[in-house]
Amino acid sequence: MDSRKKEGQMKTIDILEKKTSRRSFMKKLSIAAAAGSAGLVAGGCVGTSESTEEMGLKWEEYFKKNYRMMTPEEKDETVVRLEKLAKLQDGVDIQMSNQEPQEKVLFGYAFNISRCKGYMDCVEACVQENNLDRNSKTQYIRIFEMDSGQQDPTSGDGKYHHEVPVENKYYMGIQCFHCENAPCIRACPTKATWREPDGIVVVDYDWCIGCRYCMAACPFWGRRFNWGKPEVPKEEINTKQHYLGNRKRMKGAMEKCTFCVQRTRQGKLPACADACPTGSRVFGNLLDPDSEIRYVLKHKKVFRFKEELGTDPKFWYFMD
Amino acid sequence: MKKIFLRSGLLFLFLVPVASLNAMASGGGVMDRIHDADEPFDSMAIDSAYQLPLKTVRGKEKWQGGQFRVLARKDFINKFRCSVCHTDKKVLVKNAALFTHGDIVMNHGQGDDGLACIQCHDEDNRDFLADSSGKKIDFDHSYQLCGQCHFRQKRDWLGGAHGKRDVYWAGERVIRNCTSCHSPHSPAFKTKMPETYSLPLDQ
Ligand code: HEC
Ligand code: HEC
Ligand code: HEC
Ligand code: HEC
Repeated sequence: MDSRKKEGQMKTIDILEKKTSRRSFMKKLSIAAAAGSAGLVAGGCVGTSESTEEMGLKWEEYFKKNYRMMTPEEKDETVVRLEKLAKLQDGVDIQMSNQEPQEKVLFGYAFNISRCKGYMDCVEACVQENNLDRNSKTQYIRIFEMDSGQQDPTSGDGKYHHEVPVENKYYMGIQCFHCENAPCIRACPTKATWREPDGIVVVDYDWCIGCRYCMAACPFWGRRFNWGKPEVPKEEINTKQHYLGNRKRMKGAMEKCTFCVQRTRQGKLPACADACPTGSRVFGNLLDPDSEIRYVLKHKKVFRFKEELGTDPKFWYFMD
Repeated sequence: MKKIFLRSGLLFLFLVPVASLNAMASGGGVMDRIHDADEPFDSMAIDSAYQLPLKTVRGKEKWQGGQFRVLARKDFINKFRCSVCHTDKKVLVKNAALFTHGDIVMNHGQGDDGLACIQCHDEDNRDFLADSSGKKIDFDHSYQLCGQCHFRQKRDWLGGAHGKRDVYWAGERVIRNCTSCHSPHSPAFKTKMPETYSLPLDQ
């Protein structure tokens, strides 16, 4: 417990350093602080064996805008830079997309609690798809094993490891609910997280300062923080990436489920829904009256978790 | 019996927060947007959602979105074609069925409800299934057979609340067959170890 606290303090210092190095912060701070951070940048370049190309790319990356403020050309440029950097720094050939949302699409999700068997194929598929940190075993999805009398997942078992399903238990999956009225978005001091027109709540990892206000504001444990540098074995990296999705994250950045933006904007199901062997996960376009998700909302007994908080989640639970 | 008990328990538990689409309408926000959206979306417009390299057949029925496709089954049935053995000639060997189909474990309905082979397989032409009226059903369309007894699941399967789509939410709808998920002979899902595990919540 104690050592953990200490670790936490050390991390805070790391984050503060990162903070002073952010351009967003420079605007608000005095010139002195700005000068300090400029020093930091210069210092970072000395003594490393980076190629001039890599340094140039990193320099340009450093001064780019918040994704939402970029012109289409600037979005294309940063994506190309990040592809080149991935090659130079990690030796991987990635294809990064900045595909925009489709019109007349609002994504929604429904989870069948009477069908899920707790196999966790979804959790594993999500880790692989989204390049989640293997060191800290980051997972966007958590499956709780629940007694039939329980309703609050925190009273269920979120770390079971035995043959499933167990009789008289049911299984409830939780992940980011992509609330229409999301408290995490309001909590962010740098506007590094927002809701896209197709309803996906995303993070601009480069603009996140790691303050974790969003994490505290989320009533659903939907967000994950990178206390360390996220590591994915080179051969396991999913090279099909999206700027707002599964691209490389850094230490001190917040991340979360993006409904697999890199897949869903291409018409694919999120990796979790695709991997589910039981069909407990229904995903689709809420604005399409013929979609499966609309069928569920219309014909099944549905409810939303903590609906009374008014966050308006786009994630429903249902049963047969 | 226990299962039914569990389900009714769940039902009771969630009755309070349960809200139908209609009841939610006044809540505003996303429910209002859903309500207002009554124009079908042209999901073929998403051109990256293309037909899979899997064998599919056109469904013999319609869902709310029109026509759809189902994953074909025959390629997965090792013993197909059945008529290789099941000819007009009488088999005179004792226990022949046991030798050839002894691997089949029937656990579909208990006691008097337990199903017999000919409730599903055509008596005269083994290359087909048959419903209770004797109508022949192709193995690729076994959902028609299952749906005869499991009407509710079939309806939800057509609508999208039972079973699942394959890979794409957009484009032409391709869904799994009943027998892609359920063995027809022992249809319940098996218990197994989960794929992975999670660390404690506060980590
Ligand atoms: C390798 C040869 C062989 C193949 C291939 C084969 N069967 Fe059979 N099957 C037999 C024999 C032998 C019997 C027992 C004699 C009989 O009832 O004709 C049998 C019996 C059966 C029975 C009756 C069982 C009983 O207990 O009354 C059914 C139903 C059946 N087979 C279905 C099939 C179906 C469906 C296929 C194709 C998917 C198939 N068989 C393929 C050899 C075969
Ligand atoms: C509930 C309906 C049903 C009953 C009862 C049933 N079958 Fe089947 N059987 C099917 C269906 C549907 C398939 C095709 C499965 C697929 O799509 O993979 C099949 C496949 C088969 C096959 C080929 C696959 C294999 O496992 O070898 C054989 C042989 C077979 N059945 C024999 C039998 C015999 C013998 C019995 C009685 C002991 C029997 N079936 C009872 C529905 C049934
Ligand atoms: C002739 C009627 C009939 C047909 C055809 C039929 N079933 Fe069944 N099925 C039953 C009965 C009876 C039960 C037992 C019901 C119960 O326990 O409540 C059952 C139970 C089941 C169960 C629940 C099993 C469990 O132990 O939880 C599944 C899943 C199932 N069937 C799937 C199928 C599939 C898939 C097909 C098509 C290949 C099919 N059934 C065809 C009559 C049928
Ligand atoms: C994506 C996989 C999938 C497909 C496709 C699928 N089912 Fe199921 N089905 C399940 C699961 C998972 C359960 C829960 C199984 C259990 O409790 O053992 C289930 C349960 C059932 C049950 C037991 C009663 C219930 O509702 O829990 C029946 C009957 C059934 N399915 C019939 C069908 C029929 C008929 C079809 C095709 C029209 C079908 N299923 C297609 C996954 C599937």
